[in-house]
Order: sequence, then structure tokens, then C-alpha cells
Amino acid sequence: MSSVKDTIYDIIAKESGIDRAKITPEATLKDLEIQSLDAVQILFEIEDHFKITMPDRDPNFDTESVQGLIDTVEKLAAEQGAKPAAS
Amino acid sequence: MRRVVITGMGAVTPLGHTAPATWAALREGRSAIGPITSLPRETLRFGIAAEVRDFDPLKHFDEKKLILLDRVSQLALVAAREAIAQSGIDFARENIGENTAVVIGTGIGGEQTNDEASRRMYAENNPRLHPLTIVRLMANAPACQISIEHGLHGPAFATVSACASANHAIAQAFHMVRSGVASAAITGGTEACITMGVMRAWEAMRVLADDTCRPFSKQRRGLVLGEGAAVFVLEALEDAERRGATILAELAGAGMSADAGDIVFPSDAGAALAMRRALADAKLAPDDVDYINAHGTGTPANDPTETRAIRQTFGERANALAVSSTKSMHGHALGAAGAIELVATIGALRDGVVPPTANFVDPDPACDLDYVPNVARDLRVRAALSNSFAFGGLNAVIALRRAP
Repeated sequence: MSSVKDTIYDIIAKESGIDRAKITPEATLKDLEIQSLDAVQILFEIEDHFKITMPDRDPNFDTESVQGLIDTVEKLAAEQGAKPAAS
Repeated sequence: MRRVVITGMGAVTPLGHTAPATWAALREGRSAIGPITSLPRETLRFGIAAEVRDFDPLKHFDEKKLILLDRVSQLALVAAREAIAQSGIDFARENIGENTAVVIGTGIGGEQTNDEASRRMYAENNPRLHPLTIVRLMANAPACQISIEHGLHGPAFATVSACASANHAIAQAFHMVRSGVASAAITGGTEACITMGVMRAWEAMRVLADDTCRPFSKQRRGLVLGEGAAVFVLEALEDAERRGATILAELAGAGMSADAGDIVFPSDAGAALAMRRALADAKLAPDDVDYINAHGTGTPANDPTETRAIRQTFGERANALAVSSTKSMHGHALGAAGAIELVATIGALRDGVVPPTANFVDPDPACDLDYVPNVARDLRVRAALSNSFAFGGLNAVIALRRAP
């Protein structure tokens, strides 16, 4: 099974069309020259895949950098795992 | 080509159920933005909007007529009645109805009917839909219903261009009256799309504010949806004068353009082009204009782009302009936005009072014009522009002068 990191890299590459090799943990979506509408679709794909809700402008979560996205997803997925299944 | 004037105005908005009530609230800087009451807001991300509250359709329509009318048509009809009453035109008696156009903009038409039909079909597994579903939800329904109620036989249709729908409708009606293709016109915009599906779809774009609408301010966090309708009576100046009608304002020009750029991100060049065309069409120089009712959605994208576009169009004059976004008070009513904003612009021209940009906290260096923060200002307004810049880069700007 793919790791969270692999899945997120796949989603970013697929939605933005950029070369997967260009994605690094420190890069922000802006650095990768991903347009805001593509960025919103990336967040949507992540939410749909992991069945979580990505936070909106929450200072406690870094959703700008690739590593930040990975950390946020892992944290929210773990919280989700601790709860009974909900949508 | 004839000069075109506005002789009637009607509105049902989050600020009031009439045009004067709406204008009075705008002058006071009162905001109608608040927690949504018509939907279960616990499941929504932020759950705020500017709703038309306490609108009782049975006050305006009997049950037999009401069954034909989605909320979007109800609001348009009530606004049209007010506008036509104010104009004093008797369409039947004076035979003007023969060639009076009806052009009503809407972004999505009868969305509440569509939502209800979807719920029935998919959630209840009930494929038997109400036979009036189509005639309620079709985007032309508001225009049809106005034409039917008032016996108007001129060109009649809807214009659809998201946030610019109403300004596009007003521009089309203006062209027809100016050229004589229509003798008069009923025009404006209407929107009533605060449903669960629409709210969720807007949330997904991550452009909605979680607190309120703060156009041009550093603390702006996005747009707040609204709903409502505003409708106007247009006629030739010579006809209005002959009838002794009260002229509210002159519709002096319209400018339209397309960015041909991005499906969501606006272009300053496209917006400037529409404003320049509106000025040229109205034979207005930048120095003649005192006020701009901005598109001003309060999103990070629109506000600086619109600011640059205004500077590109007006040059030095930009610094002397009063620019305000009344979306700060009535929300973003999408297809009705330009029409509600025309109520505000006419108020400014008639009363010599510019409505404020409400909820303004600190200025943003990227937005450096005079946005009339928080408090309305006494200002003699000789001419004004009203801007609408829609998704997909569709721009429509209306130019107005004080009544001659």
C-alpha cells in the first residue's frame, strides 16, 4: 500500500501535470508553479482519497508546503482512525 | 440614437424588501451578512450569507400562481411591480407594452426547484417529478413571468454570465431602447441560490469568507454569498419628458469585454477594457466620473486586480475617485449583483451620498484607492460607473449620469 507521501506526490503530479521528480518536501505549491485552481483540486483529491477535511487557513496546520500537506494528512487521518467511521 | 433614462426602480434584497429600504440601509452602512437561517448550517464550513429574510410569497401571490414560481421568479416579480408602479407607465393603456423588452439576468435560475427535484429523485428514489419543474427552474422564467404579468410583447430573454448577468442584461436592454429596437425595457437581475449544494460547491472553491465581507481591506478573507432581485424601467428620455415622468438617472453607456484569460482569475487589462468602453460609449472623460460602485468581492484575487484596472483606466483621476463595494453590505448576489448595485449607484447620483465599503479595518498596500471605509460620504456625484467582473473573465460596466 502506498505511503501517505507517495499518494500525495501522485495526486500533485496528476492534478498539476508537473513532473513527479520535481516535487520535494520543502517545495510549496507556489514554488512548483501550481495555479490556485489546480491547488484547490489537489486539496479536494486529498480530502476525497483520505476521507478527511483539510483545514482552511488554520495557523496550526501548514498546508502550503508538500511536507506540511503530508504532516496534516497523517495527523487528520490518525484522528479519523481514532473516531468511529463518519463521512 | 436616443438617450436612455431610468424611470422606475424596484428591489427585494437582504437589506430590505423595497428599493428605498435597501438604499436607506446602504446609506447607514448597515450589513445584512449573518449566519444562514434557511439551511441547517452545522454541516456548512462557515455558514454565513446575506439572505432575504422574512419574505412571505403569499403576501404577493395567490397559491395558484405561486406554484409556477421558483423563489428566483418571486423576487424578480415583486421588484418589477415596484419599478413599474414607480414609473407610472400603464403598459396596457398607452400601448407601450407592444414593444417593451424584458431582459433579466440570472446566474443559475430556479436553483431551489432544481435542488428539490434532485433531492426527490436521488435521495427519495422517487422518479416522479412535479410537472412544473422545468418551467420553474428554467433561467428565462423570471423574464417570462414579468412579460406575462405586465403584458409586454417586446424582445424578452435572460442573460447569463455569472456575476455579470445583471449588468449584461441592463446593457442589452439599454442598447435596444437606445437604438429604438425596443420602445422601453424592464431589466435587472435576480438570484436565489442559497441551497446546500450551491453552498458546498462554493465552499469547495475556498473563496468564501468565514467572518464577513471586507472588500479592499487587508483583513479580507473572501466573498459572502447573497440573494435578491432588482428591476428597472428604461425608456427614451424624450418619452419620459413627454410623460412628465420622474427620471431617476440617465443610463449613459455600457462597456463589455472578455478577459480571454483564466476561468477564475480576473485580468486587470480585461476589466480596464470594459471600463474604457463604458466611458467612451457614454462620452464621459475620466474627470467627469466621481464614483465607482466596484465589483469588490473581498477576495484576495479581485480587489487588487480591480484596483489596478481602475488606475489603468483613470490615470491621475483615480486618486480623486470615491470607490466603494456595497457587497460588503448586501453580499454577492451573483446574477443579481449588478442590479442591486445599480440601486446603490442611483442612490448616490440622486442623493449626493456615496455608500461606504463596510467592515473595512486596515488598508492593504495593494489596494490604494479611496474606498469610503465604513461611513457613507456626502459627495456630489455627476457621473458614476458600476462594475461587474465575472468568472471566466466576463466583464460588464454600466455608466450613469445624474438625471438631466
